[in-house]
Amino acid sequence: MTAPVADPVAQAKAAIEYCYEQGWTDGLPVVPAAAADIEACLATTDHDAGEIIGSQPHLRRSITVAQAAANAIMAGCKPEYFPVVLAAWTALNLERASGGAWQSTSGPAPLIIVNGGVRSRLGVNYRGGVFGPGFRANATIARAIGLMVRNGYGVRPQELEQATQGLPGRWSICIGEHEELSPWEPLSVVGGVPPGTDAVSAMLIRTCEYVDNRSTADAEAVLSDLADTLARIGAYVGGPHSSGGLVLGPEHAQLLADAGYSRADAQQWLFEHAVRDRADLVAAGKGEHAGTDVGGPPFAMMPSARDIPIIVAGAANAAMSMVFRPFGWAAWSGRTVPVEWRDAGCAADCAAGPSVRETEQ
Amino acid sequence: MFETVVDPTVGPPASSEGGQPTLAARPGSLSGLRLGLLANTKRNAEQFVQQVGEQLAERYGVRTVLARKKPNIVETAPEQMMAELADQCDIVVTGVGDCGSCSASAVADGLLLEQAGIPVVVICSDAFTVSADAMAELRGAPGYQYVTTPHPVANLTADGIHDRAAAAIPAIVALLTRPAMAASA
Repeated sequence: MTAPVADPVAQAKAAIEYCYEQGWTDGLPVVPAAAADIEACLATTDHDAGEIIGSQPHLRRSITVAQAAANAIMAGCKPEYFPVVLAAWTALNLERASGGAWQSTSGPAPLIIVNGGVRSRLGVNYRGGVFGPGFRANATIARAIGLMVRNGYGVRPQELEQATQGLPGRWSICIGEHEELSPWEPLSVVGGVPPGTDAVSAMLIRTCEYVDNRSTADAEAVLSDLADTLARIGAYVGGPHSSGGLVLGPEHAQLLADAGYSRADAQQWLFEHAVRDRADLVAAGKGEHAGTDVGGPPFAMMPSARDIPIIVAGAANAAMSMVFRPFGWAAWSGRTVPVEWRDAGCAADCAAGPSVRETEQ
Repeated sequence: MFETVVDPTVGPPASSEGGQPTLAARPGSLSGLRLGLLANTKRNAEQFVQQVGEQLAERYGVRTVLARKKPNIVETAPEQMMAELADQCDIVVTGVGDCGSCSASAVADGLLLEQAGIPVVVICSDAFTVSADAMAELRGAPGYQYVTTPHPVANLTADGIHDRAAAAIPAIVALLTRPAMAASA
């Protein structure tokens, strides 16, 4: 630490380098957090600094609100993002993130979905380039979760974390739902939260793969294309079924809705058509659950219609969508978490409580 | 110079549960001892420890008196299951740690039973020794010894499991009859 005291740029760089030396970063530079930053985050929430918001009993590690704040700041969050970070963390703990997921060879990534007016207020992108990069709120809220796992739980790659390959974009996948162009109710409503509420849903996923279909106006043709990717054998890890969900581009969503499909209708169609011949599974060495009756009825690759979550996001400038792969055998708990804003000390324009309806809905 | 930078790793005080584990005293001979088997839910884990039990019975005269499968691969085995093993067995073989979280968890099971006075052999696949070692250190027992078998285990046939168990037997016997700490620990 020999930075010239007079040069603030050199000092800033030295502080960042200090964080690297402590082993606190995910490989990218972090924003060094000061006590005042933690206070600024704490001012956005009613939660106490010392409240424990997650634990890994088998690792004997717990994480507090104050630690979450430090990691959020380090990730680049503005203090006002903090309630969304906390909601995302809670939502992930409703999935399997409270177990051994962070240590898994699958190396799953959080998929964080934001609904409500908070998207506009914080600048959470839900339009073009929704998977990023380029948007601070999306990039840093997701990254905060990764730093919480690393620094709060002490789960680091090649140590307690044993991801075989991991996946591109781990700790960077946070998207807003494009409610304005979605023909259906927000995902958060499916997740049990009143319409217009600022809310976060989360899943753990193993990858995303695109389905580009700008060739047809036939809803069943598009569904068929999506079902083909959902039913891909490589994504099936054995067991009773595979897993899959969709981030539909607005064009695909609207095409389906115009043909009369509700979200549930589309889910049902996909469940019925995302199937494989049993012989295909046997040929790939994955026939254990398909049974020996290779001439029998096709094997359903999805767990159920409900377990094919559908989100609408991105720009309405080309008909393409993304299939994502939930980690393990369950897709989503189906539970969305409202963002809890602190009533006092919060600017009027961010005082949307769980029961407050946004007028822009 | 940067003492005002907040350390993001400092959390609530660590649980004092367990503290530094004491490892169980080793018996001089295995003959006639009651063996407990604790499997996790990884594919082939039950078959693997079962096979170890059979071979220990044949060659060393132990008796398998209890075989349990823990319900959760990440967590340590439930207290009641641990108590059962500690009450009814003289020695325990547990495994197979063959994933990111379960290798660490198998070591944690081993250390808990050791503290209850039961000599344990933990079996992990060699792909996950870093996780297993990290857990031993986390639980206050750096250098805790376990037996490795080559990864993967999940795709082995019955014959393959038999051969792997046979290959592991000398190390298992050594760990059950000699101190279970690395000399350097």
